[in-house]
Amino acid sequence: MNAPLLWIALPFITGVLILFFLRERYSALAGGGLSAILALIALIIPIDTALLIGSISLKISPSIQFFGRSFELNTADGPLLAIIFGIATLWFFGTEASGTANRFVSLGLMIISLLTASIAVEPFLYAALLLEIAAMLIVLLLVPAYQKPGRGVVRFLIYQTLAMPFILFSGWMLAGVESSPGDLSTTTQAGTILGLGFAFLLAVFPLYNWIPMLMEENSPYATGFLLWVLPTFTVIFALGFLDRYAWLRTSPQLASAIQFAGVLMVASGGIFAALQRHIGRMLGYASIAETGLLILIMGLKPSEIVNLTFLILIPRGLALAVWALALSIIKRLAYSLRFNEIQGLARRYPLAVIALLLAQLSMSGFPLLAGFPARLAIWQELAAQSLGITVWVFAGSLGLLVAAIRTLAVFVMVDEEKKWGLNESWVQSAMLGLGVIGLFILGLFPQVLLPFMVNLPSLFDHIGQ
Amino acid sequence: MLILISCLLLFVSGLTLIVLRVVQPSARYTWLVAVSGGILALLSVLLWLAQMPFELVLPAWQPNSLFSTPILFRADEISWPFSISIAALTLAALLTAAAGPVFVNSYAWVGVLALGGVGILAVTAENPLTLLLVWASLDLTELFTQLRSVEGKTNNEKVVISFSTRVFGLALLLWANIASAAGGSVFDFKSMSAGSGLYLIAAAGLRLGVFPLHLPYSPDSSLRRGLGTSLRLISAASSMVVLAHVPAESLNSIATPILITLALVATLYGGWMWLRAPDELNGRPYWIISIVSLAVISALTGNPTGAIAWGCSLILVGGSLFLSSVQLPWLNRAMLAGAWSLSSLPFSLTAGAWLGNLGIFLPFVIAAQALTVAGFIRHALRPIGRDSLEAQPGWARAVYPAGILLLILIQFLLGLAGWNGAMQVGAWLQAVIASLLTFGLVWAMPRFRILNPIRAHWIISTASQFGGISRLLWSFYRSLAGISQTIILTLEGEGGIMWTLLFLILFVSLLTQGAP
Repeated sequence: MNAPLLWIALPFITGVLILFFLRERYSALAGGGLSAILALIALIIPIDTALLIGSISLKISPSIQFFGRSFELNTADGPLLAIIFGIATLWFFGTEASGTANRFVSLGLMIISLLTASIAVEPFLYAALLLEIAAMLIVLLLVPAYQKPGRGVVRFLIYQTLAMPFILFSGWMLAGVESSPGDLSTTTQAGTILGLGFAFLLAVFPLYNWIPMLMEENSPYATGFLLWVLPTFTVIFALGFLDRYAWLRTSPQLASAIQFAGVLMVASGGIFAALQRHIGRMLGYASIAETGLLILIMGLKPSEIVNLTFLILIPRGLALAVWALALSIIKRLAYSLRFNEIQGLARRYPLAVIALLLAQLSMSGFPLLAGFPARLAIWQELAAQSLGITVWVFAGSLGLLVAAIRTLAVFVMVDEEKKWGLNESWVQSAMLGLGVIGLFILGLFPQVLLPFMVNLPSLFDHIGQ
Repeated sequence: MLILISCLLLFVSGLTLIVLRVVQPSARYTWLVAVSGGILALLSVLLWLAQMPFELVLPAWQPNSLFSTPILFRADEISWPFSISIAALTLAALLTAAAGPVFVNSYAWVGVLALGGVGILAVTAENPLTLLLVWASLDLTELFTQLRSVEGKTNNEKVVISFSTRVFGLALLLWANIASAAGGSVFDFKSMSAGSGLYLIAAAGLRLGVFPLHLPYSPDSSLRRGLGTSLRLISAASSMVVLAHVPAESLNSIATPILITLALVATLYGGWMWLRAPDELNGRPYWIISIVSLAVISALTGNPTGAIAWGCSLILVGGSLFLSSVQLPWLNRAMLAGAWSLSSLPFSLTAGAWLGNLGIFLPFVIAAQALTVAGFIRHALRPIGRDSLEAQPGWARAVYPAGILLLILIQFLLGLAGWNGAMQVGAWLQAVIASLLTFGLVWAMPRFRILNPIRAHWIISTASQFGGISRLLWSFYRSLAGISQTIILTLEGEGGIMWTLLFLILFVSLLTQGAP
């Protein structure tokens, strides 16, 4: 067996097969089942290590050559693959409950495989190309067949496409910086171009305006998936850069730029979320604020970067899945997700509303819920560095909290006396229930993530060691 | 482990009630299940005395490099008096429910049991992280319990306002943590940095549960008395425990005298409104304001254990009064024991309340205490507005007074042996003066018009003062929303990409200005 074939080629081919040959009702089962199996294999079977089962020797070889390029997934990638495919399992099983078409599962599998390829490809700069192809597939996911794409989709594609030349160009310049590290002007130029590339990829302020637009125009479940999957892989890609180039880690100017961008995203995301009257856009701004936190982490102590990043990324995947699923269920009833359309829905869809609120509270850093431990650690680390930055980051979280409270107020606002009643299907109830339990478990016992996280620092040679 | 057992007894009883409600909606023994859980929990808290002090440590958060504080509960001389008071209040609320107009398996009983369990966890929390988690669970429990039991837009709005006020209290506690980390110290009750203590007290103040002033239940709702009393008093107690933990050194700040003055104003206002409240339930928020402010003054004047005394008084004395829904003359007189508990006279529950240095604030504190006690006496002896036990079955006539007497009995027990520092003479001269002033007020009440009760709708108009503040906040919010909408429309409009790129160039040029 070969790791890239297993975690890249197999999901891609399965995605294509599902798209053309499988009925909609089985696609969630097939995609979710495959992802679950791949996650379990990544967790149980170490890559590049011979495993003796009875008389059979099993070894997953780490690399494969493809058109002269190498794709490598090493032992250290195992936990990362388990996390990615584990969270993807939730998303794929959730499609049944959210009522999204089989295009989601098939395209989702292809996107995941392309993005997995982006962390496996050598030379690693080719990841930018794979990210761009994934972005194009995401457009197919977002735009229903025979429909004109909205402005949000167009803008998303423009910004993702603009990112690619910047990243590739900076890669070419970085080679020059490595050979002559004393040349400060080249270093500054390379740093600026690299920063611009990642600003487009990670949707740094003010390049994030496509996110709330997408949340308003498109399926909340598909957009939620995009908001989980793309920043996750982009952050891993960025950590790769940080790990590879010592001057990036040690440059005080870059560190301050990273902090500035992160703070701006957290604060503006939180404040804008508090001022929205559309619960879908609120999700968009919450994800922006969280991406800001991920960027801020890159400016913290190098030894804590990896731990903190994954302490955010895993709960983020869960919270976004629960939030997006609840939004999809609500959107099937309410024409739009504006406040005036969703008033009093708590009594008709209590489970969806509770799940939505808990996911929203989790992303604002409410204690007991999955997002809290990571934020607590970040606030403490930041406070030790600069109280001024912490004030803004805290203000961003308060903004998200205000947004959650406003959402709650609208959902329970009802004039006439209505009876409480469960209108969610059993699949929806089960998925939402599991998600909510997960949010509480991760919030109360973040140490359950330790088996996944303990080996993650070995993914990077310099940061996290 | 005993801490867990006490809480689990309450939680499991609540869970059993839910299961019975689903499986056997007409089961007639559900009240017995609830009361049994309450009795066992009370007994188990009494058992703590055999092992105290002891701790319950939950598995540590990982990775260790990021999380240094464990989740820790501790039974000691601070948490035990609060825990026994909460367990007694929970049991008393269930016992007095026997005399209620509606006597069926109710989610309100589940709420009372759950609040009791979470309340015990809150008062045993040994560090701010643990307290934060328990406060959050208390808030969610309250939110869902209240939303399930209220009707109407205004009441739902009150639930949300109450939740948001508490959540901002949580945020203040978190900020205290951040301020402590910025000062380089670990956020622990014993070793918090100077200044963090003040944030902690402000957090406790926000979480007293007095805003909105009145619970979202209609005035004639039985929920207002049983579940409402548990909600109000347990929430307040879970915040007051912080006062007993705050070390006096962390309050050394130039802001301390200002805070004492503010607390004094609050207690005088609360005491005055409580004295003149039309009935005890309408006056309940003022009772809480008054007692908690007295506790804050105790803590700020260097006597944190005084806060324990006031906290227990809040639950036990207040609980006995607010749970009394039936007119029984002998029980009304027995409730006057509460006045003794509040008097600070030697060997009373609050005897050790004023061991700190009150300085120039002394006369005002005496006046505030007298107002509060006089108000209690007036409400305890109020002859009208309560039901009669005549129509109740024999067992209910026996069980109902037992609930009230239990709270009175615990007041005496705690006054004698509640904690290190109980059973003492205390500041007896101050207590005598406060008691004389109290008697003077009780004598003057029927004779002077200014001391007569105010009408209920006046209290509502007092609440409308908060409406002014909320209107001000709303107008600020709307202007912010207007600005944000302009920015969003600009960036998401037709020329959005150009504007975005312009901003980007601006940022890049700003950042590269400092380049070497």
